[in-house]
Amino acid sequence: MILQLKNLFKWVNSGGNRVFLLNDIDFTVEEGEFISIMGPSGSGKTTLLNVIGMLDDFNEGEYNFLGEPVHNLKEKHRSNLYKEYIGFVFQSYHLIDELTVYENIETPLLYKKHSRSERKAMVADMLDRFNIVGKKDLFPSQLSGGQQQLVGIARALVSSPKLILADEPTGNLNSTQGEEIMQLFKKLNEEGVTIVQVTHSENNAAHGSRTIRLKDGLIVNN
Amino acid sequence: MIKNYLKIAWRNLLRNKGYTLINIGGLCLGMTIVLLIGLWVQDELTFDKNHENYKDISQVLVRKSRNGKKVVRYSLPYPLGSELRLKHAEDFEHIVMSSFHGDNILASEDKVFTRNGGFMEPGVLSMLSLNMIHGDWECLNDPYAVVLSESTSESFFGKANPLGKTIKIGNKIDVLVTGVYKDLPHNSTFKNLEFILPWDLYAIAFSWVKYARDNNVWDNNSYQVFVQTAKGKSLAAVTNNIEKTVFNNLSEDDRPDNPKLLLNPMEDWHLRSGWRDGFKSGGFIQYVWLFGIIGLFVMLLACINFMNLSTAQSEKRAKEVGIRKTIGSSKKQLINQFLVESFLMVSLAFLFAVLIVFLVIPSFNLLADKEIVFPFNNGQFWFISFLFIVITSLLAGSYPALYLSSFRPVSVLKGAFKTGKSTTTFRRVLVVMQFTVSVILIIGTVVVHKQIHYVKSRPMGYDMNGVIMIGKNTEDYEGKYNIMRSELLNSGAVVEMAESSSPLTDVWSTTGGFEWEGKSAGFITNLATISISHDYGKTIGWDLVEGRDFSRDFATDSTAFVLNESAVKYMGLKDPVGKIIRWNNQEHEVIGVVKDILATSPFEPIMQTVYLIKYSNTNWIELKLNPNQSVSSALSTVKNVMAKHAPNVPFDYQFVDDTFAKKFEAIERIGKLSTIFSMLAIFISCLGLFGLASFIAEKRTKEIGIRKVIGASVFDIWELLSKDFIKLVVVAIIIATPLAYYGGINWLNNYTYRTDVSWWVFVIASLGAVGITLITVSFQALKTAFTNPIKSLRTE
Repeated sequence: MILQLKNLFKWVNSGGNRVFLLNDIDFTVEEGEFISIMGPSGSGKTTLLNVIGMLDDFNEGEYNFLGEPVHNLKEKHRSNLYKEYIGFVFQSYHLIDELTVYENIETPLLYKKHSRSERKAMVADMLDRFNIVGKKDLFPSQLSGGQQQLVGIARALVSSPKLILADEPTGNLNSTQGEEIMQLFKKLNEEGVTIVQVTHSENNAAHGSRTIRLKDGLIVNN
Repeated sequence: MIKNYLKIAWRNLLRNKGYTLINIGGLCLGMTIVLLIGLWVQDELTFDKNHENYKDISQVLVRKSRNGKKVVRYSLPYPLGSELRLKHAEDFEHIVMSSFHGDNILASEDKVFTRNGGFMEPGVLSMLSLNMIHGDWECLNDPYAVVLSESTSESFFGKANPLGKTIKIGNKIDVLVTGVYKDLPHNSTFKNLEFILPWDLYAIAFSWVKYARDNNVWDNNSYQVFVQTAKGKSLAAVTNNIEKTVFNNLSEDDRPDNPKLLLNPMEDWHLRSGWRDGFKSGGFIQYVWLFGIIGLFVMLLACINFMNLSTAQSEKRAKEVGIRKTIGSSKKQLINQFLVESFLMVSLAFLFAVLIVFLVIPSFNLLADKEIVFPFNNGQFWFISFLFIVITSLLAGSYPALYLSSFRPVSVLKGAFKTGKSTTTFRRVLVVMQFTVSVILIIGTVVVHKQIHYVKSRPMGYDMNGVIMIGKNTEDYEGKYNIMRSELLNSGAVVEMAESSSPLTDVWSTTGGFEWEGKSAGFITNLATISISHDYGKTIGWDLVEGRDFSRDFATDSTAFVLNESAVKYMGLKDPVGKIIRWNNQEHEVIGVVKDILATSPFEPIMQTVYLIKYSNTNWIELKLNPNQSVSSALSTVKNVMAKHAPNVPFDYQFVDDTFAKKFEAIERIGKLSTIFSMLAIFISCLGLFGLASFIAEKRTKEIGIRKVIGASVFDIWELLSKDFIKLVVVAIIIATPLAYYGGINWLNNYTYRTDVSWWVFVIASLGAVGITLITVSFQALKTAFTNPIKSLRTE
């Protein structure tokens, strides 16, 4: 078991009313799963993903990650935890415009204080694996959307996380590019990486091992 | 339309309160500085210009050659006035002989005051175009007359008309008040002139003046000469005509120093008062320029910040611009809107600046030793101010106006709006400029303070502690030295008493004509000659290096000399004690050598000095108060004893250390002003930096969000953002260092006794600049670093 959410609530107060963004979520992710979160706009998919990624906090409930009670952890401990074990992939890639492909992939390693030679080896490995060695000195604006997302995934994977969180990774891509990314995810999953993705597309969800559906912050089927 | 613009502008100001505060505050501060400096510069530039004929008034000076060097002197011989009148009448409107002005005792009925004034020829009243309240410009023609300044007249007679009243001068001569003139303004060379006596009275009152007059003495220089040149005569032409007047009237033996007259125009008296090797060199005009440039720079910095902050806000305004354009606003209308906004801000800043200047002017006057009045009812001032506001608005507002109005509406509305790289480069250049100015000012300030400290710790050569000086402005003290001294010593209030010809804080006479064995031929001597009483050395605690002090036990000491170390060096004497020096056809034996005593400017070398015993030629009494008594009781005892011997003389004393400290007033004023201006300039630079930091932080929000998501800590982000600014400051330091070094050296060259510009000055300034930068930038950097990345990424 990688993580478990128990009776998790998140709400905002709006004009005296409590609006639930996440409503009594019970949810477990086992190692090696490939989960798709689906649901209409505003159902709380991204919020749930951000809570899992520890980028957002919640108001009530328990969250255990690899046996650590996230709800009790201090900010610093929490960020060490996600830095170590979680990689993010975004719909709009979120690459740093001023850095090259190589440097973008290298940045997380800098923050983990890897030595120069280690970084070089690990980035080279990633470039190889995704077949983008020839593009390593290009800037994000010189790449197509699919290529940018490849770099984004390479960046998420470079520090070998246990869990990849992907927020509509194919949302900005055409169908061919989207299919390629999904194949890649599937391959990674087979290699043992746990993946949680938010998606609108039943097609994409079909690549996963399990789908959960959200509506108004509630899990409607699991 | 304008109304609509103003409404929008006003709402924008209110909505972004922090931004408005920084922007208007910074601009207001800049304007305050510019207004103060402007008023100060105006005051300096109008120095002496209250005299109607100031353009034609000059002082006659003389340039002499001494051993290859040229010196300029202000004192001239008695007959020069009548000689000029006789030979060159057509060149002059007025020729005014004058004594050197000084303190005199004035008494009327029961009132006795010490006032500053002198003897001058009657033409002075019309030459200076004095504003006569009573009497007219002819009222100095009678030798037993006196003309008073309004305040002097009031201290004697109140508001009453004083004409015809009697005033006793120096407890000796009765004169009649024949005129009263309005006090001269504070920015006038003659502002301290509190009374004028007729020139003819000078010779009546003093026998040495009478002697000079009756015998046509050309080789005694004790008088000043002021002239007003005739209309249409150029200074150069008149100078050329009169140049040799003194030379021609001296005998062959008396003119080895080749005296040549020159005219120093009144416009230069205050602003260009420096002389170096016989020619004009600097003066206060340097500071007028310096502060003028600082003022300009400060205004420029403030404008730059205004532009910077306004453009930094542009992203917030981009949407508004987009909408306005889609609903039909032309580019020109948008430009006008932003210019109106800028005008509103600048006007508000100006209003506050005027208010602040009005409030701080009293303290500023105190600091700068001025009596500047805020020119509320001066139309010209307001007109210039209005122009200033308009120009500043255009200067500060045009860039944001052009920049903002050039947005393309579609891209702005789609949210794909991005500011280009060039705007950041532009800002970086501006920040470097600001910090260059700031670092130069920091270094300058440190150098000024270092110089003050260095000169203040210069050895004095005597102990001024508890020594007071009393000017002998009257003959009432004559012949009473011994009795007063023994009574003062007996009273216990005083440890020792002495008299001297020069005050301890100045040299009043220098003479030449010294001869000694081994003197090289053709060497023109010039030494400070100070007549003293036997007890001078003990009173001031001078430091004998060789030989002995004067003593009453040796009758021969009446012709003995004590030299200071500089004199020994100057004359090239080896084993000076026992040497014979010939002077005034008499032989003088050197009996002792003392350490140099710092009497004249602490920034200049100490003059070669000879001390001799001469009771008949003393102008000052020095008293060493008993350190075991309280100062107040010692002073009151002294006062009583003195009053017994000179009953009608006011007890005017000065502590030597106070008088000496006044020599630092000018440089300390510069020190204080430069400190304040540097601090303000740094503050304004910080505002600019703050603006840039917020701009960059905003621009990099997305990047920072990503970095945080992939694992950057708060410290990483802080480092990332601060590093860039440190680089800019380092560049500024590199540019500023040579400039500041050059400027510092140049300034220090004004002083002969000076410190150097040490390396640590630059280290301090650099560390200071880096520290200030970190503090300013960290605020923004940390704010950004602590932001939850979800928020910044969601906005994409």
